[in-house]
Amino acid sequence: MNADRLIKFELARLNAHLPERRISLKEALSLTKPQVPTRDGSVHSFKRKELELLAKLLPEADWEKLQLPIFIALEPKLGRGAARVSGEVEAKVAAKLLGKEATGELLIYRPEVALLRRKLPTTIQYLFLW
Amino acid sequence: MATALAVSPNRTELMKLRKRLGLAQRGHDLLKEKMDALVIEFFEAFRKIQASRTKALEQLSTAHRALSNCFAVMGTLETVQATRETKRELQIEISSRYLMGISIPAVEFGEVQRNALTRGYSLHMTSSVLDEAAREFERALGLLVELAETEAAAFAIARELEKTKRRVNALEYILIPRLKGALKFIMMRLDEMERENFTRLKRIKAIIEEHR
Repeated sequence: MNADRLIKFELARLNAHLPERRISLKEALSLTKPQVPTRDGSVHSFKRKELELLAKLLPEADWEKLQLPIFIALEPKLGRGAARVSGEVEAKVAAKLLGKEATGELLIYRPEVALLRRKLPTTIQYLFLW
Repeated sequence: MATALAVSPNRTELMKLRKRLGLAQRGHDLLKEKMDALVIEFFEAFRKIQASRTKALEQLSTAHRALSNCFAVMGTLETVQATRETKRELQIEISSRYLMGISIPAVEFGEVQRNALTRGYSLHMTSSVLDEAAREFERALGLLVELAETEAAAFAIARELEKTKRRVNALEYILIPRLKGALKFIMMRLDEMERENFTRLKRIKAIIEEHR
């Protein structure tokens, strides 16, 4: 049964880095130290450069709608290497960065995940779903 | 090779094993996803290290050239004396950022480059080549701190990757095959018991009919 406990522990730990609550881009831009508390009790900070890049990509009306961090959902049912970006504005931003088109939800693959993470290392995070 | 689990062949055990197998497979799939994500992060960190290292080495080379020039113009003893007078403080704030449960050091530092007045050595006793050498070394210091941060991140990711890979392999090659083996054994045993019962009942029926 130890193996089962270990698996449960690992599964619980997978999403420990996620924030307790997300903040909007507008709120993040207004903070001197843009950061959010995470589930494991630590703090996740956003780089101002990335926030400014996001602000450039979106019209000001959407700043309130964009919730940070943006999640890249990794789901085994999507198949290995595939990921999903949910949320209308979030998908729009990701699509703009990748030079694609998106409506509501964006399905991306491993090289695109790497590209997004390279461009926005602190404002994009992995989310494991099952 | 995976050895079989010691299980008693009954339906309760069969249900328990199915549940355990489901959990193990789910864990395996998710850990594999995590491993893929870690590989992406590791290669990204590796790419950054290569770029930072090249930049830092180039800058160090420039700085050493400037220092040689300084030795030639000002003289070795005077240069060493000037460096002794220099203030050597650099404020660095080291915090951590978390990536998939891994603590990665995040280094933040203010302006590394100072102006000639704040360095601490006497300006009228030294040449401008010393300022240039100092400026180049300060630039190199900033790049070295950045390189250290990226390398520390890469090491942390590599350690987690190794751990995750070991777990994925343990699930893939040991636990899941054992559970599948045990499940197969129970199913075969239960089928066998059903066949035995069926034969027994047929035999009993035949005996009863013989006695009629």
